[in-house]
Amino acid sequence: MTDVQTAPEAAKPKRRINLGFDKYSGLYVWAALILVFALWIPDLFLQVSTFKQVVTFQAIAAIVALGLIIPVASGAFDLTVAGTLTVSVCWTAWALANHHGVVVAAGGALILGIIVGLLNSVVVVKLKVDSFIGTLGMSSILIAVAYMITNSSQIVLSTEGYAPFFEFAREEIFGLPRSVYYAAAIAAFFWWVLEYTPGGRYLYAVGGNPVASRLAGVRVGRIVMLSFVASGLTSAFAGIVYLSTIGTATPDSGSGYLLPAFSAVFLGATQIRPGRVNVLGTLVAIFLLATGVTGLQLAGAPSYVTELFNGAALIIAVALAARTARRRG
Amino acid sequence: MTPALSVRHATKIFGAQVALDDVSVEVQPGEVRALVGQNGCGKSTLIKILAGFHAPEPGTEAEVAGEELAFEDPVASEAVGLRFVHQDLGLVGNLDAVDNMALGQGYQTNATKTIRWRKERAAAREALAALGYDINVRLPVAGLQMSERTAVAIARAMSDRGSPVKMLILDEPTANLPNAEAQRLYALVRRVADTGVAVLFVSHHFDEVFEMADSVTVLRDGKHIVTRPVEGLTEDELIELVVGRKLEVHDKGSADDREHSEEVLKVAGVAGGSVSDLEFTLHRGEVVGVAGITGSGREFVAPLVFGGMERAGEISVGGQVLPQNRPDVSIERGIALVPAERHANASLLEQTLRENITLVDPGRHMTMGILRRRPERADVRIWLDKLSVKPSGQTEFTMTQLSGGNQQKVIVARWLRQEPEVLILDEPTQGVDVGAKADIHRLIDEAAAQGTAVLVCSTDHEELVRVCDRVVIMRRGRVAEILRGEQITADSITAATIGRDSDEPAA
Repeated sequence: MTDVQTAPEAAKPKRRINLGFDKYSGLYVWAALILVFALWIPDLFLQVSTFKQVVTFQAIAAIVALGLIIPVASGAFDLTVAGTLTVSVCWTAWALANHHGVVVAAGGALILGIIVGLLNSVVVVKLKVDSFIGTLGMSSILIAVAYMITNSSQIVLSTEGYAPFFEFAREEIFGLPRSVYYAAAIAAFFWWVLEYTPGGRYLYAVGGNPVASRLAGVRVGRIVMLSFVASGLTSAFAGIVYLSTIGTATPDSGSGYLLPAFSAVFLGATQIRPGRVNVLGTLVAIFLLATGVTGLQLAGAPSYVTELFNGAALIIAVALAARTARRRG
Repeated sequence: MTPALSVRHATKIFGAQVALDDVSVEVQPGEVRALVGQNGCGKSTLIKILAGFHAPEPGTEAEVAGEELAFEDPVASEAVGLRFVHQDLGLVGNLDAVDNMALGQGYQTNATKTIRWRKERAAAREALAALGYDINVRLPVAGLQMSERTAVAIARAMSDRGSPVKMLILDEPTANLPNAEAQRLYALVRRVADTGVAVLFVSHHFDEVFEMADSVTVLRDGKHIVTRPVEGLTEDELIELVVGRKLEVHDKGSADDREHSEEVLKVAGVAGGSVSDLEFTLHRGEVVGVAGITGSGREFVAPLVFGGMERAGEISVGGQVLPQNRPDVSIERGIALVPAERHANASLLEQTLRENITLVDPGRHMTMGILRRRPERADVRIWLDKLSVKPSGQTEFTMTQLSGGNQQKVIVARWLRQEPEVLILDEPTQGVDVGAKADIHRLIDEAAAQGTAVLVCSTDHEELVRVCDRVVIMRRGRVAEILRGEQITADSITAATIGRDSDEPAA
């Protein structure tokens, strides 16, 4: 009996140190990156403008990634996030350019996001197509829709004509554009949902074991449906923010957001709450990657360093996490 | 005679816990040895050391047929003639027996590296025939019976991989087998032993120890307690050796009154899966068992009654008809299901015990839109203590950190916490050690005493005898008979399940 009682106590201090390093390794790496660039290129890196640039550039990517967390938590891939963003961008630009007003433009975009989410869930839940394949197909359809809306060309909104719309994302509050605050608000909302509501528990439960969840009374189909709707709506919102920030819509506006979003979510799953996708981890991942990339670019690296750094960081981080998990198991 | 296996002073320490404490064991060629003990007694650790998965502490020595075992890696263990079959068998379900047997040893090929299929198939058939099995080797193994799959795994293990087989080590070989198939496996193991190979098997099922083993080694708390011949040993004595104390004898009290108490659940004309006509009632405070061989429909009774699958017919709780295929509604009406195969059907393996237990109603500790972890933890801790889950009080452990018996207790806790009107348990003590088994049986008694109607579906007939007031016997998809009171013995249940007609009184 004495064995059983003393063992957990003896193991405790050791575990705490280990876990701390596992959970927050991203924060340490982030701090190290900042330190390295601060010493290496202080004139370029240690500037308020650099900080602002990193935060602003990442706001849209962060919104997309945050939306993606929800279906991934429930065990479903949503490859339509970038396509939904594109359709939202194109629809909003088309509606504004054709003088349908901001309400129709933005409201319509959000409704489109919800529709994409519902269609995804029909394909995955009702037709029982694997989510990876189903949403891959859907994302291809969405690109076609974007081409239809824009008539295969680009729509440019002039700065003068659409001033109030541009304010939506660009207006600065305490030196940062509103898009950053949107990302923060969405992050706070999803963090609350995932960590502090029954809905979050259901999402992780369905992601962990859908059969067991169903037998414990969780409405698995409904949870998956809602998670697709959440990511669809969030991506559509990201599209509105994108258009308001950039001002130009093309059928490939969103193409650059898919892989970074997945990278951030999976890299984030190794942080803060190792082993499960989570909001804070995803944020750490986004800003860690952005800091590294920005620093390297300022130091004179070629532009492809973004993809190189993102890809390498993802593989290394997830491989390290798998190794720690194995050792712990 | 040189022993097939000789282990001396085996010790293994994990952190602060001594998992294996100076254990010495010898097994002779042709001997069948059972290795028994509660979960966490060190038997898995011993097997894993022999298999080369864990390095033991210095001072541990082992010889296989006189040859020293290096404790390096699985390859080293195999080279001296040890072969392992794990509980999950390690087969690939969508491949056939030939492919499965080729896994790990490769195929015979001709000069152009083309697989010589005819030869491979013949070899597979021959290997299986040597074990007394005639199996279609071109069928995906997922379509085979459990005992046939076990045979394929054993045939693979026994195949000559450049070193003669000295010893076969089986982990819970009959854990998932219905009785008749288990009998076939006993014969298989005997054949293996007759060829001079020593067999060591880990077991929680004492009937398999008595049927199969020549001798038994008992471990408790990492220590070697005894090794002795099975002959002359009684089951009660063995339980005492394993647990280290006497298990109390349970007095069931009067079942008659309970059958005439208020009706809680009524099943009428229910069909689904291989069940064609299910009909019975459950009363307050009553424990009803369901027995039947594989294919009798027994395995569908629990999911059907719970409302977890498509069905025809009517199930009502407290007079209200239950919709089908809506577990959430069933739970709302007070039905709880501890399903069979907890890993697949009940556990969130990577999540905490807290999340596993509160999965049914995570919102219970929500105030002002926020789940409060502190009261949730306190709530869960009470349940972990109530069910004496070990290690105690660790609400933040993940399921993977617990032994099988303790995982099962967590699932039982999830449902007892709901204070259900009807508690359905499907194979509640599958792969669970005797201590945890006794605990779970006690919890069933307690739940019934508090007025819960309990339905226990089980292939473990001793278990049904222990807990049930009535036992429903399933044959060919329908209720064949119902045993009551004195009629309930392990033998009478077994006899009834294999189809002795109820009108003919047993001679």
